[in-house]
Amino acid sequence: MSRIVLEGVRRRFGETTALDGVDLEARDGELLVVVGPSGCGKSTLLRCIAGLEAVDEGRVTIGDRDVTNVRPAARNVSMVFQSYALFPHLTVRENIAFGLIVREEPKAEVRARVAEASELVGVEALLERRPYELSGGERQRVALARALVRRPYAYLLDEPLSNLDAGTRVQMRTELKRLQREVGATMIHVTHDQVEALTLGDRIAVLDRGRVRQVGTPEDVYTQPRDRFVAEFLGTPAINILTPEQARPFGEIPAGSVLGVRPEHLRLGDGVPARVELVEVAGSDAYVFLDGGLVARVEAERRPAEGEELSISFAREAAFLFDAETGERLDR
Amino acid sequence: MSERRQIALMLAPYVGGLAGLVVLPALVTFALAFSEYDLVRAPSFAGLENFRELAGDDIFRTALTNSLVFAAIAVPLRLAGALGLALLLHRRFTGVGAYRSASVLPTVIPDIAYGLVFLWLFNPLYGPVNLLLKWQGDSPTTTAWGVQPPQWLTHPNDARAAIIIMSLFTIGEGFVVLLVTRQGLPAELYELAALEDATAWGVFRRVTLPLMAPILLLLFARDTIFSLQWTFVPALIVTEGGPPPYATTYVPLFVYRNAFEYLRYGYAASATLVMFVLTALIVWLQWRIVRRWRKGFSVGG
Repeated sequence: MSRIVLEGVRRRFGETTALDGVDLEARDGELLVVVGPSGCGKSTLLRCIAGLEAVDEGRVTIGDRDVTNVRPAARNVSMVFQSYALFPHLTVRENIAFGLIVREEPKAEVRARVAEASELVGVEALLERRPYELSGGERQRVALARALVRRPYAYLLDEPLSNLDAGTRVQMRTELKRLQREVGATMIHVTHDQVEALTLGDRIAVLDRGRVRQVGTPEDVYTQPRDRFVAEFLGTPAINILTPEQARPFGEIPAGSVLGVRPEHLRLGDGVPARVELVEVAGSDAYVFLDGGLVARVEAERRPAEGEELSISFAREAAFLFDAETGERLDR
Repeated sequence: MSERRQIALMLAPYVGGLAGLVVLPALVTFALAFSEYDLVRAPSFAGLENFRELAGDDIFRTALTNSLVFAAIAVPLRLAGALGLALLLHRRFTGVGAYRSASVLPTVIPDIAYGLVFLWLFNPLYGPVNLLLKWQGDSPTTTAWGVQPPQWLTHPNDARAAIIIMSLFTIGEGFVVLLVTRQGLPAELYELAALEDATAWGVFRRVTLPLMAPILLLLFARDTIFSLQWTFVPALIVTEGGPPPYATTYVPLFVYRNAFEYLRYGYAASATLVMFVLTALIVWLQWRIVRRWRKGFSVGG
């Protein structure tokens, strides 16, 4: 068992509260993605699990063992850093073997495990090179191999893909998922990129200002957001938020509430009149910006022309009702 | 004004200073090394006579040995001291600023004042160093462990040790450079080492030392050059080149005495030239050794 459980974890830095009572569980063998805007506390969360940061309050459990006050090395987790944290003076082989060498594992064992880990991430051909001779993607693979070679209870990944170019990022994303399946280990992956979270995670946890807003499968969290923050954070373009006045032409909503409509749920063709102000084509989809601040997402081939007068509507069941003050979901 | 002229104009004060204060004296020294000159008569060409005399001069040989032994002991100790202080003081904690300032302070004190302070510290009768060593001694002249304290100013080896001890506090420059270097090392590498259960010694040996090595090697060469010249003021003020026989006469003092006390400018210049060539040779050798050593740096080694 290598599940990771956080109970009421708090962490303050002077006046600012980085983690404000976090309850979270990563199940055994699952890939949990923690996602949130910068400064939401997601890196601190990971560092608290690793033991690089002490917690002020609460409990951290790894594999049913309370590790709240256990030093980092004794927690038996591996971490992959955003900067890769490769030692510039060591070869790829030595970098991967670092943890085994400092633990004074037998040489034959080190050799075998380095070979196994490097094969798993596809860096066998790079073993004698040094980090400065590698591309960003290759460095990331080496950092992954170094995490794998130790066979820890769990892997903690701190924005491992954000320093990569777009193409490599997508490729590494797929690879990461395959790797996690193959190794079958618990993995917590932190990112600010909602697309990465939605595509990668078995489950995702949305973090905002040190609090977990919602945990669930990507589909659940996207289609059934618990509050306005989660609804606005996930999805491209961001969800349309309509005040009661803006919503009136489509149907009454209670005072003190707002309506959230995803851009893909806005239908062009019948209903309330609107004018097209701007059209952005993003590959197979087009984003249609309408007067009144609404955005619709349609197939690129069926996009209207800029300046066109048309009418819009949406199915009421597809929209979410939030409290205007608290952002709480009202129609769940 | 063209860009070239602007650059030339801005460089002029430096180039002028360099020419007047370094290049010209160096050329004169070079010329004097092959001459005889006493400030009174016009210099006369002497060929290699000065160097022939140096080769047979016991005092010069003593001074040269003293200088080399001093550098061989002082340079590693000074670097170790600077590195130790930098690693102790690179973290933030209450009062760290005061400690850092204290580490640099001895370096910025004028050499003469620094020498006079040590003249007092090492005084055999009332100097605090020996008063401390004799504290709780059985008799007024022995230490608590029953031996005589060092005779800093009168015993040859004790005097040499005194000069080395003096040099161990003027390490502010190396300290500042190493402090900045250590602060520039990425925190993630240390966090990774912590996750991998590396011991403090392991982190030092496998992470800190190799990553700081390029700067340490630079300081090593720099400090060798520095140390071969630094002895002048302490030897002049604290030990006056003695105690006999010439225990703390180093090459800079030898040059000074020959030039300004015995008025043998040609002879002094030739000694300077020998020292210069020797220094260049040592630094070149260091770089050669060091390059091979760096190639061998690896985690398994």
